[in-house]
Amino acid sequence: MNITRINVGPVHPSTHGVIRLVVDLDGDTIVNVEPHIGFLHRGVEKLAETRMYMQIPPYTEKLDYVAPMSYDEAYVATVEAAMGIEPSEPAKYARTILLELQRIASHLLFLGTLCNDIGQMFTVFMWAFKDRDMVLDLLQEAAGSRMFYVNMRLGGLNQDLPPSFAEHALSLMDYMEKRVFEYEKYIEKNPIFNERMKGVGVLSRDKAKELGVTGPVLRASGLNYDVRKANPYYVYDKFHFNSKTLQDGDNYSRYKVRMLEMQESIRIVKAAVRAMPEGSAKGMPVKLRSPVPPNRISIVNRELPRGECLMYMVADPQKPYRLSIRSPNFINLAAIGSLARGARFADLFAILGSLDIIMGCVDR
Amino acid sequence: MKAERDGLPATLSRMKSAGFDYLVKITAVDYVDHVDVIYLLRNLEPIKDEIVEVTLSTSDLWLPSVENVHKSADWYERELSEMFGIEIRGRKAPRLLLEKWDGTDPPLRKSFAWDAPYKTKGEKA
Repeated sequence: MNITRINVGPVHPSTHGVIRLVVDLDGDTIVNVEPHIGFLHRGVEKLAETRMYMQIPPYTEKLDYVAPMSYDEAYVATVEAAMGIEPSEPAKYARTILLELQRIASHLLFLGTLCNDIGQMFTVFMWAFKDRDMVLDLLQEAAGSRMFYVNMRLGGLNQDLPPSFAEHALSLMDYMEKRVFEYEKYIEKNPIFNERMKGVGVLSRDKAKELGVTGPVLRASGLNYDVRKANPYYVYDKFHFNSKTLQDGDNYSRYKVRMLEMQESIRIVKAAVRAMPEGSAKGMPVKLRSPVPPNRISIVNRELPRGECLMYMVADPQKPYRLSIRSPNFINLAAIGSLARGARFADLFAILGSLDIIMGCVDR
Repeated sequence: MKAERDGLPATLSRMKSAGFDYLVKITAVDYVDHVDVIYLLRNLEPIKDEIVEVTLSTSDLWLPSVENVHKSADWYERELSEMFGIEIRGRKAPRLLLEKWDGTDPPLRKSFAWDAPYKTKGEKA
């Protein structure tokens, strides 16, 4: 066997961030992939030990910079669990709506970049980004910003959803429903797409469990675990939705699971907007001196667009003693070696694209 | 659930055969005089979580590797040894995962001087 070693990255257009992959090849077949991470390590867990509770959301948001609202919420929910604060009923609805909108925006980014990676240059990317922009417009209407929101407060949100929000959200969801259908029609009949996605990067059910992968990657391999179903938070248990599971575990399943998830998210947003109760969703104003947390240790898990995030916090009176973040991307990326072994070199980027990793979240 | 360090791989593999075969996370907390290492395990069908906790004395920081029980422990153990300075025995010494620090304490230990001016190895304090 004549092994050729190729370096991919740290800066490469298909890696979606700064990551270096050392790939060993036998001819065109991948023998081993060794990811080198840490280029984006900012020490958020350590920084959290040095800041007051409500000074931390801007840091946690920047972990996953394409789904900041989700991380914002996961952290604030952990602090709420430590302090024994329960959000008001309108706040629960509003948070559910915002989280699902963020999931749609994040999956649209996945769709666009994945199609770029496998050679459907820019058509789908432009479509998906145009639609993602419309979701961001809606989030801007709700939170006042397009990228980093810092919108969660203890017990609620920074500001109430504006009166026009419900109407705009419903009409956007109607539009988005049609668009998801169009995407599927456009992409799934494409022979290049199918050739590069079906049967490539197969992750079996047992292997997925063994490697500890999470989120859509786990569900594409036939394991039905979704925090929203397993441990429902906010109002997820009040609406009927399915956590979609596919059996094949290949690139195509990982793509399809996210498309199906988008449809479910659209259903949840519509139902939640219609059922939204009257009243204020506002939380407590930010004060440096927060209430003293009665619970020393709090563990909160959330279903982020990329998988399960788990926050383990040991609380001190004014700031966290320790904040440990289980990042979904970290463990999904660790599986790349097993996934890519035996595939062709060009398939590496399709596999990496289908894992949908965000390096800020991997490195923390 | 508390566990002893020496019997840790055996404890985890016993739990694995009892259904807790999905490792969610390995993390640690430095309480200055001791370090708690936390293994979060999950049974996926039916869904049930379990926590296994190992207490280490700060003067004797090592752990047996559980990589043979849970393959996903690989990156978590590397992160642990790098961020907390815990030696992981029973596996070949891996290269650093995240960050190389120049001669200071492991970053997530409480002794790490986060507000001290940054000095590289060659510089005099």
